[in-house]
Amino acid sequence: MENNCLTPTQFLGILNDTFALQFDSIVIEGEVASFKINQGKWVFFDIKDEESNVSCFMAVWELRMPIEDGMKVVVKGTPKMTKWGKFSFTVSNIKPVGEGSLKKSFELLKKKLEEEGLFNPERKREIPKGLTKIGVISSTQAAGYADFIKILNERWGGLSVKVAHTQVQGLEAPDQIIRALRYFNEHAEVEVIAIIRGGGSMDDLSAFNDERLAREIAASKIPVITGIGHEVDETLADLVADVRASTPSNVAEYLTLDRGAIMTHINYMVNNAGENILRKVNMEKNVQNDKISQIKNVVLTKIANYERELSEKIRLLDALNPEKVLKQGYAILSGDLSLGNVVKITTFKKELKAEIKEINERK
Amino acid sequence: MKESKTITEKIKELEEKANWFSSDEFELDQAKEKYDEAIKLAKELQKDLTELKNEIEVLSEDFSK
Repeated sequence: MENNCLTPTQFLGILNDTFALQFDSIVIEGEVASFKINQGKWVFFDIKDEESNVSCFMAVWELRMPIEDGMKVVVKGTPKMTKWGKFSFTVSNIKPVGEGSLKKSFELLKKKLEEEGLFNPERKREIPKGLTKIGVISSTQAAGYADFIKILNERWGGLSVKVAHTQVQGLEAPDQIIRALRYFNEHAEVEVIAIIRGGGSMDDLSAFNDERLAREIAASKIPVITGIGHEVDETLADLVADVRASTPSNVAEYLTLDRGAIMTHINYMVNNAGENILRKVNMEKNVQNDKISQIKNVVLTKIANYERELSEKIRLLDALNPEKVLKQGYAILSGDLSLGNVVKITTFKKELKAEIKEINERK
Repeated sequence: MKESKTITEKIKELEEKANWFSSDEFELDQAKEKYDEAIKLAKELQKDLTELKNEIEVLSEDFSK
């Protein structure tokens, strides 16, 4: 019996090794009770159901969402015996579950980050125009990702899209997304990072209400656009991002030009150029027609003037016509008008010869 | 070797060409030639736009660790 004798330290060591081997990573769901933070460093709380409760311990920096007594949570961790012989469940991850707890936690963290100014509009950066390199963080198996790629390919081309495949729900998702954000910021030459996830329940989307993820997005050197869930869903990731799109498809629409619209614009420009030519040709035609019309008017006016002058002259000449005078009853006397001479008298119808018998001066 | 123009550059060039038709610089004598150039560029752009494909690469990095 003495050979099997262990020191308390050895015993606890064996016990903890056995725990580690048997319960590598246990997930427990229950209600939080007796939640407290000691010295700003350590978190102690119980997780309980109707019959039992488990004492939990974790470091403050691992607390990713606000937790309060009465919240329903899921914790991930390993069981451990402390050197004082007390059992403790060492938590590596905790997150609220159930709509009430999720909403409460969301509102508490939202208020905190809002007070820090993380949602301020002046922090938001514009997404550059004419993008060529895009970083995407999403699950490549997710429907939201498929929608994003489909719309992206339909609308535009020539883009280099680098995709970081991560979980987009569950306890591991926030850390994976944080790693992907860091990767893009440190290694990849992308002009924007798009974080994408399709629709889901509040619990499904709760990974995007993680405090560390929200802070990582806010600290990203590269502008971040989010398309998480549907229009009505609001996550902290959306609130800290530079641009919030309503859905993954909407992210694709936001980041790209629409080649269909550009083709329409091209056709419009060419058609408009053709119409401009026709308009200018018609204008020129009208100008030339006006000139021809003006010349024609000048010529016609001149002809009319000539005609009028000619008529006047003809009328004058006509008035002087001797035949016309004779017709009026006058006669022309021709020959030597001396006494005894024979002279010729011409009337309208006859020619007469007469002798001059007498000459008297007119009084 | 002359580098080929980007789609954005070509669109800008087409816009400039199209604007000429409504500008004071318009000359009827040059219109046919300029119009043919615009049509050629528009066809080239439509071909470019149709053939343009995205390059999508899923990174091999494991972000679960």
